[in-house]
Amino acid sequence: MNHFVRAIGVALVLGPALLSQRGTDPDEFEHLEPVLQAALAKAAPFVVAVETFGGTRTISGSEGPTDSDEPPAPRVPPKPAKKPENKPAEPKSEEPKPDEPKPDAPKPDEPKPAEPKPGEEGPPAPQPVPMPGSDPKPDENKPDEKEGDEDKPGKKKGLPLKAPGFQQTLGKTTGIVLTADGWILVSRFALNLEPTTILITVPGRGTFHAQRAGEDTSRGIALVKIDATDLPVPEFVHPANVKIGQWAFALGRTFATEEPTVHIGIVSAQRRVFGRALQIDAYTSPANYGGPVVDVHGRVLGMAVPLSPAGRNAGVEWYDSGIGFAVTIADIPHLIERMQKGQVLQRGWLGVQFESSFLGPGAKISSTPKDGVAAKVGMRKGDVILEVDGVAVMNGPHFQMLVSSHLGGDSITIKIRQDEGAEPVVMGPLVLLDAPWSEQKQKKDTDLPASFSLPEKK
Amino acid sequence: MHKHLLFAFSFASVLTAQSQDFGKAYSFEERKPRTRVEQVIDQRMPSIVKVHGASGLATISAYATGIIVSKQGHILTLDQVMIQKDRTRVVLYDGSVHQAQLLPEEPRFGVRLLKIDPALVNGELQPVWPPAEAEAQFRTGQFVVSLGNSFRLAEFSEKVSATFGVVVGRANTALRYRMADVKYDGDLILTDACNNPGQFGGGLFTLDGRWIGLNMKLLDSKETNTMVSAAIPTRDLLPYLEEHVLGKHTAEAVVNKPVPWTGIVLFERAGLQSPPAYVDRVITGSPADTLGLRPDDLVVRINDYSIRTCREFREVLGRFAAGETVQVTWKRGTKVQQASMVLASEPKK
Repeated sequence: MNHFVRAIGVALVLGPALLSQRGTDPDEFEHLEPVLQAALAKAAPFVVAVETFGGTRTISGSEGPTDSDEPPAPRVPPKPAKKPENKPAEPKSEEPKPDEPKPDAPKPDEPKPAEPKPGEEGPPAPQPVPMPGSDPKPDENKPDEKEGDEDKPGKKKGLPLKAPGFQQTLGKTTGIVLTADGWILVSRFALNLEPTTILITVPGRGTFHAQRAGEDTSRGIALVKIDATDLPVPEFVHPANVKIGQWAFALGRTFATEEPTVHIGIVSAQRRVFGRALQIDAYTSPANYGGPVVDVHGRVLGMAVPLSPAGRNAGVEWYDSGIGFAVTIADIPHLIERMQKGQVLQRGWLGVQFESSFLGPGAKISSTPKDGVAAKVGMRKGDVILEVDGVAVMNGPHFQMLVSSHLGGDSITIKIRQDEGAEPVVMGPLVLLDAPWSEQKQKKDTDLPASFSLPEKK
Repeated sequence: MHKHLLFAFSFASVLTAQSQDFGKAYSFEERKPRTRVEQVIDQRMPSIVKVHGASGLATISAYATGIIVSKQGHILTLDQVMIQKDRTRVVLYDGSVHQAQLLPEEPRFGVRLLKIDPALVNGELQPVWPPAEAEAQFRTGQFVVSLGNSFRLAEFSEKVSATFGVVVGRANTALRYRMADVKYDGDLILTDACNNPGQFGGGLFTLDGRWIGLNMKLLDSKETNTMVSAAIPTRDLLPYLEEHVLGKHTAEAVVNKPVPWTGIVLFERAGLQSPPAYVDRVITGSPADTLGLRPDDLVVRINDYSIRTCREFREVLGRFAAGETVQVTWKRGTKVQQASMVLASEPKK
């Protein structure tokens, strides 16, 4: 069966050429329909609905939601539900006051924006920017938050009449059951607004209150925990077993309760976003972000997330565009574990920029920002990086691939030639920093060159 | 390039149309269908007509698609402002143009029947009728073919555009009530066979040729910031069709909805933003009191409607009437609870 279906997939990809050949079954869709519906039926139980309440609506940049100036702080991992969570050290907790199980709890201070996170200087408050004219509802800006913002130097307090980009909607989103004991994988997109309440509806099991745990900003995924047991758990497919051209069905819960919605497509590419995601051509949009992308057997290839090709959060222009990203899950159990502990994972950053005119071999440094790891260990302009973890570096983009596939906190070892003709030295292990948040804001910094000419062979 | 091609084709068909039979005006010989998709298109294309109305306004196109539903000349289409008495014309499969008479619209669905004179038709009309109840079911993941005159591309006897897609899902009112311009209250078929302008009024067919949906205009989903293609399930259109095509009369009582009352007073501050629907107090003896709602509970859902703000609470409640029973879901602490509530009328002061 498997082979048969694969064959159909290939037939579709090759399209008309194959259809015109004799001996090929031209009625592939008639045969695919029951396969698709079986996959759907198998996947439906672990596709959950995510509803969020409260939080701050913000304007997103033209390239999608931008992030605040500061990296997000680690979160307190969810405690077992039996204990009431009185967490004084967590003002930006998963729950506002009314959630404490005291019947005579004081009036909720709702709606409350994200409060300063512990261990950070200055409130990182996501910038609330109501967009007059874009939405008839004159909401989304809280007086108390505005006040806090006005003190902040450098924050725009005046609100642009015509902000670029769009306003994130409050719509229901989708999630995937990760473990039977209540860990739910959701899209970070769903939590962009810093909601005060998150509810997860598991089909046939009811609605649960969820506590937020860690997240991986480089993948656009986040973990929440609900108090439930014996949840239906999907089978996750390791990306090594995924083939370009195979069917990929993107499921969502935004518009459907009984069965999830489905958009069909194929796997367009592998190892996108520095090895983190599959690219699919099934339509993805907030209607299915956070939902699983499943194969013909209803196994999860990945989670649809709003990443754009440059690795940032995707804006409207990527909705339903035929370019979608599904973050692979089966290859990151170690990261899931860290996220369960409340860690916020970010792309790693060494702090070097390259001379694009230097074609290799190796990557020639053009500058080292002073907060970066590179500057601190003595890398300088003109140095040539030859190896990363024993892998010979071909050129600048290659080096960027090698480093960006790491997260902040990971260690790498670098072989570098510091002076013309000198013996290369080994530096490391160097612990990468989290990518500075501004990196995700400025397009030019993160974009790879559209093309890069390879060095000519001598 | 494409425009030139199209023009050349239509010109060719004008030259050859005179001598050909009904349905054959299209000037090329076509090969026999080989796949189900091709079969469905061949089978249903003769039932699809192009509808042209008065000149369009900025946002309202002056053209649409229609479906022949009777041999007597009844044609179902999406009701458009551009459809006007004496100015609405229908172009059949053979390229013949007919003056259409307007029958009463169905405001609940935003659809309307047109009627042309069958005596003026060359040959016999080929109607299609909604499938019987059980067959009319649609399922997520069903493949569908959508037929309609996208962007008025089809001139004269050219066939309308066929697009292929899948039933993306079933959207009930509760999940889509924030979409603009949807008068219709029942389930909708969501599809990715796109409803471009002009495609609306066209038909959505399964691979076995069943007519399951009438294409709507592209919907603007505020839930997702996306455009959504949807169709009205044909089985829901049956009462209207039966009444005006078959002459069956189904009495429909128009009831004035009594305004519902829950006895919940929400915690709502005057200000720009509508906060989440936290209960401020509960009137003693009210339905909410009976249910055991308390101050600081967060109302999150009424039936399937998500309640994300106090404003949405009022909007959603307005969709129900006093006396109706609704499922209310609320959150207290970290517990989510649900119970049914019989909506009351507001007590007189």
